[in-house]
Amino acid sequence: MSTMTPSLSYRFLPAVWKLIRLRLLISVNGFKHAKIRRKILTIVAILGLLTFAGFILFLSWILLGFLRSPQLMQYVGLDVTPFLQAMPVLVFTGLFLSILLSSFGVLLQALYLSGDMDFLLSSPVPIRAVFVTKLLQAVLPNFGLISLFGLPVLYGLGLSGHYNFLYYPLVLLTMIALALAAAGLSALLVMLVARVFPARRVAEVLGFVGAILAFSCSQAGNLYNSFGHSTNVSGAQVSNMFTLLMRFNTPWFPLNWAGQGLVALGEGRWLTGVLLATLTFGLSATAFMFSLATAERLYYSGWAGMQVVARRKKPLRTVQSDAKRDASRPLTASQGILALGMERLLPAPVRGILWKDFLLLRRDLRNLSQLITPLIFGVMYSLMFFRTGGLPSTGQGEAPAWLMNSLSLLLSYGNVGMSLFVGWWLLGRLSGMAFSSEGRNYWMLKAAPLRASHLLTAKFLVAYLPTLALGLLFLSGISLMQKIPLAGFLYSLVAVPMCLAGMNGILLAFGVVGANFKWEDPRKMSAGGLGCLGQFLTMLYLPLAFGLFITPLWLVSAFNWPQVYGYLVGFILGVCVTGACAILPPWLVKGKVDRLGEV
Amino acid sequence: MSETALIEISTLVKRYGDKLAVNNVSLEVHAGEVFGFLGPNGAGKTTTIKMIVGLLQPTAGTVRVAGYDVQAQPLLAKASSGYVPDTPNLYAKLTGRELLRFVGDLYNLDRKQVAQRTDELLRMFDLTAAADDTVDSYSHGMQQKTSLASALMHDPRVLVLDEPTVGLDPKSARLIKDILRQMADRGAAVFLSTHILEIAERMCDRIGIINQGELVAVGTMNELRSLGKAGEVSLEDIFLGLTGGAEEAEIAEILK
Repeated sequence: MSTMTPSLSYRFLPAVWKLIRLRLLISVNGFKHAKIRRKILTIVAILGLLTFAGFILFLSWILLGFLRSPQLMQYVGLDVTPFLQAMPVLVFTGLFLSILLSSFGVLLQALYLSGDMDFLLSSPVPIRAVFVTKLLQAVLPNFGLISLFGLPVLYGLGLSGHYNFLYYPLVLLTMIALALAAAGLSALLVMLVARVFPARRVAEVLGFVGAILAFSCSQAGNLYNSFGHSTNVSGAQVSNMFTLLMRFNTPWFPLNWAGQGLVALGEGRWLTGVLLATLTFGLSATAFMFSLATAERLYYSGWAGMQVVARRKKPLRTVQSDAKRDASRPLTASQGILALGMERLLPAPVRGILWKDFLLLRRDLRNLSQLITPLIFGVMYSLMFFRTGGLPSTGQGEAPAWLMNSLSLLLSYGNVGMSLFVGWWLLGRLSGMAFSSEGRNYWMLKAAPLRASHLLTAKFLVAYLPTLALGLLFLSGISLMQKIPLAGFLYSLVAVPMCLAGMNGILLAFGVVGANFKWEDPRKMSAGGLGCLGQFLTMLYLPLAFGLFITPLWLVSAFNWPQVYGYLVGFILGVCVTGACAILPPWLVKGKVDRLGEV
Repeated sequence: MSETALIEISTLVKRYGDKLAVNNVSLEVHAGEVFGFLGPNGAGKTTTIKMIVGLLQPTAGTVRVAGYDVQAQPLLAKASSGYVPDTPNLYAKLTGRELLRFVGDLYNLDRKQVAQRTDELLRMFDLTAAADDTVDSYSHGMQQKTSLASALMHDPRVLVLDEPTVGLDPKSARLIKDILRQMADRGAAVFLSTHILEIAERMCDRIGIINQGELVAVGTMNELRSLGKAGEVSLEDIFLGLTGGAEEAEIAEILK
């Protein structure tokens, strides 16, 4: 047998370089093979970020120079020097905590879920090189992003304070050292968590919490403003904020040493500066090396891969008990009729898909985060709505009376508007993605003797029932608060479900046409712009559909005709059109359902 | 083995653009027969299987399963067949038991029947202990067994399996081989693709070999031996001879 000995590279740094080069190669290949639109977007985004960083640098330079001016202290009486000295501490604290938290998710993926660890560890590459590369992989993107904001601020501080040249490279080096130390500690944290919980579940929970937090934070400002809180900042508030920020600048806080060391070096206080900088680099290196060595050992020994906390088995309130109970217990006459009715109304495959989809929606946190969003939106906008008393803003009081009357009339339908808005949001996910959400499991439905009409019915109901429940909840709640007359409320109880049904039909049809079963990441479930088009069309559909219900009411009121005619005409018009929208679009794509999933 | 053909494939063609994936394939699988479908990677095995179970529309030709045309009477054909794909993509957040119940519903089975059959299948595949764990916690072998259990849920007359023994431990592989044999003995038609020639040689009544989309040989082991050159007695020799084994032999020589 002919033998071929590979050239072995056991040296640490070349191995790290090889692995980093591999990552770079993957990124470059990704860019090369991307669509031209994506390439342009990437380049524009990079240029935009660099411009933004330059702008921050300029702004920091000017602003911090202004804050340092003796005239400011003389006229305003606010001494900001301690705050300026604490600025590096604040930036380093932000950097350290951000890297510690953001690296957690990335390292969880890189160490446990990416699937390349076994390949890398079985190749003749030092294990330490693999871990260093993984840490760098986790740190670099977030470090780059944080540096884009932090570095210009600190350079601006240096420029405004005329710090000496040594300050500038040391700022960068300190940031790198702190980022690596944070990533090392994050790796240990990941292993500790993975020891207790399954990595995949942790990733799901992280994604869920992250999405909800991000969304809640993004909407908190709106809610804050709606409650009449002013965004103007008073001098006292600035002073309080400075005091709060200054709390980070305590002598026993290790990140303070990093910041103060840099400021001291910049100002030419060499002894303090060198001492604190040495302490910072020493501690960072120790934390990094300790974390690295411990993480390697924990991973290699299998400690971090073995969950010590056995999962508690869920009580068997599952199919086993349900099915056996159903099978053994005789049905009463009324139950028998109900069961027969259900079977007639919904064939077993439809019921099966409904049951399966509701279970999956509840269990998969990736779905849950998308479903909670409309609820948060609904609650938030309802609060804002009630804050204004359900009345239009009078402004300067110069608006014509007819405009104000029309606006008041529109806002009296706030209950309907809110429930339709929540429904629109929820249906966009449930109905538009009803088919795509099957993903690679679609073969199970495709290989089964399942009628396209049954599949469409099941998917229609999966999207419609929760939306209807949530929509009616909002409708009833807001109607109660608004003290809507009973007739109007009852009429809304017909109009809202019908409008939602029509919207569901339209979105479901778009979901069939744009179905994508090849996604790995649920965020990429929607293929192409069909989903957006569907959402856009239903945005137009909703006011039109609801308009059909209420326009006759306005007309009879304008001509002083009996109200009942308005209700009757509105009911007939609205039900016919929304019913057609609910049935026709899915019916039009029925043929397409038979061919779905065929490549 | 009966003379009733439960799978009838007639002049089947599948074209992807310019590429001819399956070219004019015709064969029959009878009741009580285990039929092995062999071929090198990319020969058209999975494409043919997907057309048999109705996952893929043929460009030309017909497939009849249990007497029903898969294109014209898809529901009847699908109700008669069970399918195990090469990769067991199952609903990850359902438990094994829930998945089987769901399959029972899809095939319109009676609820009592589903409960009973589920218990039987879980016991048979040694999955009872994990029956109430979600599928994403299963090993590949357990997922493969769950996939097979779901294919057997409605006791199909035709069973189509794509690489059923990949990733299974010897005990599970043996179990599956026994189940397939029993099904055939009870009058079902079993159509399986495999790369493991030993499995095909030992358990299949007839074997079809596909290469570059064309069915190059079909018959019993003895019939295949008669097709091969003198001295080609093992299925491996016959397979390599029919599918360009000389190239593989050269590669093997380089590796020596």
